[in-house]
Amino acid sequence: MSVATIARNAVPRAWGPAWHGLLVGGMVVGIGSFAYQWWNGLAVTGLSNTISWGAYIITFMFLVGISAGGLIVAAGAELVGSVRFASLQRLAVVLSGTAILTAALSILPDLGRPQFVWRMLRQPHWTSPLIWDVIIITVYLTIAGLDLYVLTRPIPRPGSLRRLAAVALPAAVLVHSITAWIFGLLVARPFWNTALLAPMFISSALVSGLGLLIVAAHLVQRWTDWKPQETVYEDLGGLLVWFLAADGFLLFTEVLTTYASRVPDHLEQLDVLLFGRLAPVFWAEIALGVLVPLAICVSRLRRRRRWVVAAGTLAMAGVLAKRINIVMTSMYVPLVGLAPGIPNGRAGQGFVPAPVYVPTWVEFGILIGLASFFGMLVTLGVRYVVLPERADREAES
Amino acid sequence: MTESAKVSPIAALPEASRRYGAVGRVSREPRWGMAVDLERCIGCWTCAVVCKSENAVPLGLWWNRILTRGEDLDTPRVGELGRLEMSWVPLACQHCDDPPCMKVCPTSATFVDGDRGRLVQVNQDDCIGCRYCMAACPYGVRVFNWSEPRYPVDGLEFGMVERRPVGSVEKCTMCIHRLVEGQVPACVWSCPVQARIFGDLNDPDGDLVRAIQDRGGKRLLEEKGTQPRVYYLEPRRRLAP
Repeated sequence: MSVATIARNAVPRAWGPAWHGLLVGGMVVGIGSFAYQWWNGLAVTGLSNTISWGAYIITFMFLVGISAGGLIVAAGAELVGSVRFASLQRLAVVLSGTAILTAALSILPDLGRPQFVWRMLRQPHWTSPLIWDVIIITVYLTIAGLDLYVLTRPIPRPGSLRRLAAVALPAAVLVHSITAWIFGLLVARPFWNTALLAPMFISSALVSGLGLLIVAAHLVQRWTDWKPQETVYEDLGGLLVWFLAADGFLLFTEVLTTYASRVPDHLEQLDVLLFGRLAPVFWAEIALGVLVPLAICVSRLRRRRRWVVAAGTLAMAGVLAKRINIVMTSMYVPLVGLAPGIPNGRAGQGFVPAPVYVPTWVEFGILIGLASFFGMLVTLGVRYVVLPERADREAES
Repeated sequence: MTESAKVSPIAALPEASRRYGAVGRVSREPRWGMAVDLERCIGCWTCAVVCKSENAVPLGLWWNRILTRGEDLDTPRVGELGRLEMSWVPLACQHCDDPPCMKVCPTSATFVDGDRGRLVQVNQDDCIGCRYCMAACPYGVRVFNWSEPRYPVDGLEFGMVERRPVGSVEKCTMCIHRLVEGQVPACVWSCPVQARIFGDLNDPDGDLVRAIQDRGGKRLLEEKGTQPRVYYLEPRRRLAP
C-alpha cells in the first residue's frame, strides 16, 4: 500500500470533510471569541479581582499535564528497553508535542495585554516561575520535534532515540514541576503552598497523559486502518493502575497532613474542597476519576479494550476536575477575608465577600478554539506521521 | 503624563494646607511606612474615596478599602464576656519589605523603588496582565483593569497621576507623586480623625516609630514573612458592657 493510499484512508471519506469542517469551525469560534475579548477586555470573562485566574489557567495546567503521557510512555519505554509500546511511539510523541504547543497558546487569552508578551523575553525576571516555565516548555517542544524527526527517518539510527529519551524524561519531570511551582511557591495561597504540589502535578500528569493516549489510540484505530499491537490496551490499563494509585496516595497524604496538623488557613481552604462549595466536584472526582478507573484496571475488564478506554476517559476527566479544584479552592478563600471583601472589578459592581466563578460564553468559545486547534494538529499528525509508519516499515523491508 | 500631572496642585496650595500635609522628619535613607490607629478609625471610608479621586482609580476598582471586623458590615459581633465588638481595618498595599508580588512578576513591572523610599511600585508599560502578582499577594489589594477604565463623570479629568491602560494591574503607590513633593499620602491628610500616621521607619525618634513601639503595632499576616510596612495599632480601651 502506498503512502498516498494510507493518507487517503486516514479518516473514512464520508467522515473526513465533516471532521475537518468541525475543527475549522471550532477554530473560527475560538478566534472570534478571542477577538471579542481583545476589543472588550477581560471584563467579558467570568473572572474578577478575587478569582483572578480561571478557565484559561485551568486549561493550561490540564494541557501541560496531558502532554506527559506521550513523552513518558515513549521515552520511558525506550529507556527501559521495553517494546510493549513500540507501536504507540509515533502517536504518543504527536500527542505530547501538540498538547504542549496548545498549552503555550492557551496562556495568551489569559493575558490582559498579550501584545506585550515579548517583554518576558526582553526583560525576564529570573525569580518568576513563569519565566522558567516558558524556558522548559520551549525545551520540551524542541525535544518532541526532535523525537518526531528521529522517528520518521527512513532508516532510524539506533541509539539516537535512546539518547533523546535520556533528555526527554528529566525535561518531562521538570515541565510539570515548574508548572506546579507557579502555584506551589505562593505564600498567599496555603492550599497550593505545599511541597507535595510538584509530585502531585507529575502523578496527575501521568494519569491524564496516559488517559489521553488510550482514548486517542482507540479513536485512531477506529477511524483509520492503523493498528497497534494486540495487547497494548491491556498494558496501558495496567500502567494506569500505578499512576492512579500514586496520584491518589499523594492526595491522601496532603489531606491527612493538613487535617492532622490543623494549620488554620490551610484547613479553611481544604474545608471548601472537602465539605464546602467544591465538595460535589471533589467527591465526584474521587469516585469517578480515581476509584472507578482503578477498579476497571485491576479487574479482568482490563482485557477488554472498551473498558480500558472508559477508564482512560474517566481518569482524564478526573484530572480535569482536580485542576479546577486546585485553582478554585485557593481563589475562593482570600487570606484577608473580612467584609466587604475585594472589589469585583467592573463599573457598577460592588464588593464580593463570597465570590463565585462562572465562565462566560467567551471563555467557552476560546476553549472550543483551543480544543479544535489541538484536534486539528493531532489529526494532521496522525495523517502524516502515524499512519505512514507501516508504509515506512514496508519500504524498509 | 496627563495635563493635570504637569501643574502640581500641591504647589498651588495655601501655606497652611501645605504645612498640614508636610512629611515630617526624614532620615538620609528613608523607608516609608505607615501606622493605622484602629482606636481612632471610625470606618467612614473618606480615605478610600479620596484615594480614588487622587489616583484616578476607575469605577469598580479600589486601591484602599475599609474592612469591618464584626459579624457583618452593619452588625457587631458578640465578643468576650458578651461585649459587642466592631472595628475597622483600612486595607491597601502593605508595601512589604519582602514583596511576594515583585518576586513572581515575569517582566519586573512590579519593582521595589530603591531611590524613592523602597516602596513597591508597578510600571504599567511593562505589565503584560498575567495577574500572577494578584495570585501572589496575601492581602488581596491588587486590582486589574478588566475593561477600558470608566469614571463617574465622562470627560472630566481628575486625579493627579497618569491613568493605567486596560489589561494592566494597579495598586496603591503610597502616593509617590505626593511624597516627591514632600507631602504625605492622600489617605493620611484626608483622614477626619487623624487615624493614620505616616513617616520614616528608619528614623527611630520619629512619630511613626514611637507610636508603633508605644502601642505595640502589629502587622497583617505577619506569619507569612512578607514584612509589611503598614502597622496597625489595636484599640486600648473597650466600651463598658
